[in-house]
Amino acid sequence: MQLGFLVDLHLCMGCKGCEIACKVENEVPLSTWRLRVKYVDVGTFPETKRTFTPLRCNHCENAPCERICPVSALHYLDNGIVNIDKERCIGCAGCVMACPYGAIYIDPITQTADKCTYCAHRIASSMMPACVVACPVEANIFGDLDDAASNISKYIQRNQSNVQVRKPEKGTNPHHYYVGGGNVSLNPLASQRNEGHNLFGKITTLPVGGHH
Amino acid sequence: MAAHEILAATQAVVTLDVALPGTVWPWLVTVNMWAKSIGTGVIFMLFLLLRTHPESGKQLRFLTAATAFVFINIFLLFTLADLHQPFRMWHIFFHPHWSSAITWGSFMASAFLGLLTLLVFLSYTKKDETYDKILLWTTILAIPVTLYTAALLSQCTARELWQMPAESAQMILAATLSGSAAMILLGGNKLSYEAKKSMGVILGLSALMAFIIYMSEYVFGPMKAEEIAATIEYIKGDGPYAVMFWIGQWMTYILPMLLIVLSRASKSESILKLAAILALVGLFIVKHVWLMIPQLLPMS
Repeated sequence: MQLGFLVDLHLCMGCKGCEIACKVENEVPLSTWRLRVKYVDVGTFPETKRTFTPLRCNHCENAPCERICPVSALHYLDNGIVNIDKERCIGCAGCVMACPYGAIYIDPITQTADKCTYCAHRIASSMMPACVVACPVEANIFGDLDDAASNISKYIQRNQSNVQVRKPEKGTNPHHYYVGGGNVSLNPLASQRNEGHNLFGKITTLPVGGHH
Repeated sequence: MAAHEILAATQAVVTLDVALPGTVWPWLVTVNMWAKSIGTGVIFMLFLLLRTHPESGKQLRFLTAATAFVFINIFLLFTLADLHQPFRMWHIFFHPHWSSAITWGSFMASAFLGLLTLLVFLSYTKKDETYDKILLWTTILAIPVTLYTAALLSQCTARELWQMPAESAQMILAATLSGSAAMILLGGNKLSYEAKKSMGVILGLSALMAFIIYMSEYVFGPMKAEEIAATIEYIKGDGPYAVMFWIGQWMTYILPMLLIVLSRASKSESILKLAAILALVGLFIVKHVWLMIPQLLPMS
């Protein structure tokens, strides 16, 4: 079994329901996010459009975070999920530096690395990840990539010419796909980041070193 | 296509997102690399001096071992201080993950520190023959100890700027540069003028080679990858690290090279010492800039 995610960006309307569901389900502290929806505006007025892109851990088959972790706090589960053991983590932030998707953060409460686990605890109880349940338009499709009859496999087959991953040149083989994505939504260097784009203006920055 | 050309083509603006995480590896990591370069570099230089200028080298056994001991302890202390959970450091030794350069570095640096402790003891008790035998193994181990950070930086898949071939060369050159500079300053009357001149040559050549690599990356790096082009923008023009980058290049490489030529022409040890001080201080700045700029890039 290799679990994977697919987001159909044609369907996503940027409601951020997945983002909130994730925060509540996983008790993600303030100023940090396991999943968030990025808004990018394209074009010049009046010819403009807004794109919405949910971003989370890609659970790569060849995960740089797993490779760089000196204590195996980041590890693979049999179902392909890249999980994290927060009791094992020493907070070296190597994984934060290695992840090309910016999906890992240092939890300001536990002072350890954390990230999306595809809600591994819910999967273990045969439930869907919280973000999948919360999505009102079923833009998040989750399932077994090894099972040709799963929804995600069928979706990928139906949209073969339009399925993309983020930063394929990194060789990480992400288990997270997008349908309807483009350079603007998937490439962080393709859009400007002006002052004021942040969700919150005053963010709590992490202290340097091991303050608890 | 350069970063600014992509932006011009897409006319795309991020209008809502979370804040960028900012600096993940701060100046503590710069101290780590800087102190490790000195700690391993002086060992390389003593090994060389004992073969090329034995009369000078013999008098520097204790001073070199003690200096390396101090700087490797600084390196380890700041590495520990950078951890968010420093009291879990022992996990590396009891739950090691061998694909990580951090694991290899921790084991090798610990062994290196053990050998340095032994060298300090042997030089203090004047057991020179055993000292020289242990020094050989310490010098051999100093090579991977100084190189492991290059492997660690290369394992940071997100930071395209840090490529193993260039970083390996820069780590070794940082060690020879800072090691020779430290020896010029430490040597005092114990180091003959000829030996100091040799150290000056190593300092100058290390500076030249490191400068060539940085300039190559500065000019040609952006032609290789979009991310490198975007990263190098931070040290070009009005980039936030442009001034610091050039201060570092002048202090560490250009001025020491000129001063070494001048010191040879005028046979001035004072000028040589000035070159050594500039190189040691400048190396910190150079390393810091190279550590910071890839962390400014948005990843998502």
